[in-house]
Amino acid sequence: MRVEFTGQGIYLADLDLWLDPHHRQRRAWISHAHRDHAGAVHEEVYATAETLALYRIQHGGALEGAALRAVPFGQSWELCGARLTAYPAAHVLGAAQLLVQWRGLRLLYTGDVKLLPPLCGRPTETVRADRLIVESTFGLPIFHFLTREQARERIVAFARCALEEGRCPVLLAHELGRAQEVAHVLCQAGVPVAVHPAAARYLPVYAEAGFPMPGWDEWNGSALPEAALVLPPRFRASVQLPRRRVRIAYVSGWAALDNARARTGAEELIPYSDHAGFEELLELVEATGAREVDVVHGYTGAFARILTLRGKLARAPERPRPEGENG
Amino acid sequence: MDELAELAERVASRSGRREKVALVASYLSALGDEDLGRAIRFLSGRPFGPRDPRRLAVGHVSLREAVTAASGWDAETVTLSIREVGDIGEAIGLLMRGKTAERPLSLAEAESLYRELARRRGAVEKEELLRECFLRYRPLTLKYFVKVITGDLRIGLHEKMLLEAVAAACGVKPDALRAAAERTGDPAEAALAARHGRLEQISTRLFRPLDFMLARPIASAREVPDPENWLVEDKYDGIRAQAHVAAGRAALFSRGLADVTQAFPDLAAALERLPGSAVLDGEVVAWREGRALPFTALQQRLARKAVPLFLPLEAPAAYVAYDLLLRDGRELMELPIEERRAELERLLAGHDEPLLVAPQRQATDQDELVRLFAEARARGNEGLVLKRRGSRYEAGRRGGAWLKWKQPLATLDVVITAAEQGHGKRATLLSDYTFAVRSGDRFVNVGKAYSGLTDQEIRELTERLRALATARAGPILLVRPEIVLEVAFDGVQKSQRHESGYALRFPRIVRWRRDKRPEDVDSLERVRQIWEASLSSPGRSPSR
Repeated sequence: MRVEFTGQGIYLADLDLWLDPHHRQRRAWISHAHRDHAGAVHEEVYATAETLALYRIQHGGALEGAALRAVPFGQSWELCGARLTAYPAAHVLGAAQLLVQWRGLRLLYTGDVKLLPPLCGRPTETVRADRLIVESTFGLPIFHFLTREQARERIVAFARCALEEGRCPVLLAHELGRAQEVAHVLCQAGVPVAVHPAAARYLPVYAEAGFPMPGWDEWNGSALPEAALVLPPRFRASVQLPRRRVRIAYVSGWAALDNARARTGAEELIPYSDHAGFEELLELVEATGAREVDVVHGYTGAFARILTLRGKLARAPERPRPEGENG
Repeated sequence: MDELAELAERVASRSGRREKVALVASYLSALGDEDLGRAIRFLSGRPFGPRDPRRLAVGHVSLREAVTAASGWDAETVTLSIREVGDIGEAIGLLMRGKTAERPLSLAEAESLYRELARRRGAVEKEELLRECFLRYRPLTLKYFVKVITGDLRIGLHEKMLLEAVAAACGVKPDALRAAAERTGDPAEAALAARHGRLEQISTRLFRPLDFMLARPIASAREVPDPENWLVEDKYDGIRAQAHVAAGRAALFSRGLADVTQAFPDLAAALERLPGSAVLDGEVVAWREGRALPFTALQQRLARKAVPLFLPLEAPAAYVAYDLLLRDGRELMELPIEERRAELERLLAGHDEPLLVAPQRQATDQDELVRLFAEARARGNEGLVLKRRGSRYEAGRRGGAWLKWKQPLATLDVVITAAEQGHGKRATLLSDYTFAVRSGDRFVNVGKAYSGLTDQEIRELTERLRALATARAGPILLVRPEIVLEVAFDGVQKSQRHESGYALRFPRIVRWRRDKRPEDVDSLERVRQIWEASLSSPGRSPSR
């Protein structure tokens, strides 16, 4: 099966199918709704129903005329003589791995993936494959993340402590994925939550998918709320946070490194990610049983070398790609 | 060490100064006497006390080798990981996650490991011990165990905050503890005295050297916006030395706090004649005919165990004193510099070479500072030391109350007016530049320079200059004055060669000032001032 790695995305020529392309194409598989995967509008889109719901919020009217095909998890469909099946990837709500069975070959494209169960969303299913296309956002043995139980405990304890001190707990969390997870665990623990509008717009999709957020408020941006504030990091600089009146935590895979403090201004680092940490990633690759692996995002060269040393036929295809927005 | 590592993590995750101090204080107050000293040293990034002569001699390469061996990751993965983390201690902690026996490590054990590391000779032996440590202790503990080796915990706990925490833990006032720490040169010793109510008994001890107060470097007079607030001394090219004197005995201690008395029997003899007891700060210089010689004239003395009698004649030494820290049992370090200076002058009044008091000068503006700098250079000295009026003696600190300005000479910003091709591999490039300063609304040449830029810069300049060409005179390309260079030089002399009437001696290009425009360059007046300043020291050119 021909797999082309281009600056536009990954192209399966035999199926005329693009995987997470960056620009408009005739037919595309969208693994999940982060911008660097779902930034473009295509004529025909295959994705899970949850991903499509998030995708609609992002692109609105621009999707008019596009054929959006909702794909249920675990149910195969046919395309150009191939059998395609979506499996949960944990990452963000709706994230899916795509298994392509074609003339006896099993090709698995993970998209962005997490192996440990997430705070919100379905647990990842491991899928057997001959050939694997996998990401390596955290593909160095320095990235070790909290489990969801540990993360829940840290997030809730941080917010409660700050509120008891009379300060506003600010949780820097990516607007799609971590922000909803943080809001969900805080709401479940009975901590009042205010959510920045950029993240709040996705909350109803999460609630509908079975992750309710009772009692959250949308933050109006005028004053510090008397609640935990969930704020996407990209708004950190444009928001006034008087140092003595807030505590800032950063919830991200990048919070595994102390240098995250200098970059984000956060005191508390909570290394919880919607990506696999290093050991998880290795475990995931091994669980697929794939002998041939293409590493397509993050520390591609380093992770491909590590896989090669473990006996895989691993490559890091050269592929200019815009900066990812997740982590 | 495990608890210290956990404490360090908590301190790093608090940005408030008071919170950090409170966390450290509560940790320290629970420690026994010996652990208190260890914890204070480790928290300040030192494996040993300041007077301990031991050195670890463990570099990044050894740490990297050891973690590569211990973790089993390939060298490229380890190198990339360290680069991504940005701190080798943190990286080692992360790389060893899940790979160690997680055995506990006490402060005492950590100290003996550091001692063993210092004792072992050779990188291989040190790396072997490090590898064993990396496999044995908890990853978080390893992170800080290594940070003590590299010398900085990076938890935002500055020395002053640590001393505040120690004071709080020992129930004394921060100022009292700080003063005691400066006197002993060892915060751990001061902490113990404080804990047992003996803080008052800590005093400057004769014949036991104190830490020196250090000067922060500056590069130009522009960094001194308030020259009137500073006292100005020449910066001597000598050996910084503390003189301890009492009852007919004298000793000289150098910056490494080593006793160098034996190298200077002539100075010791002169110091012994001083009345009473005293601790002086100053500089041992080579001295002949009323001026300091380059320090190299004295170096041979330090190399010898005992100095034969004829050497003092070959390279006569002088002790140029500039501060007085103790006088007849009275500590002066907390007094303002003016009072210490007055006491020093009283002490040395009536004494002649080889005991001297460093002349002190004053400047009212930056131009005068520049002039004093040129004069100091003309006297053969390195530059200037500026001391803030009213400041106390801050032993062991580089706190900014003293500044040192030591540079070839002040630089000038000039503009390129003509360019020539170079030789050899630069034959196709314009690499020799004639440059000018401002004179009214014109530019007049003051010199020519051909070194100091990178090949890349020369290539870029060649292109720019060709575009700016106005005329050609043989090999020389005349250009529109647009490109500004910063040049250093050894002096200014009168010259018929240039229309300006002056020429810079040995000019060399410091950098291409892309940020400056031609109207920003220095004036001919400035060049004239530098020339005039060099005249006030007849018989010697400003160069060395």
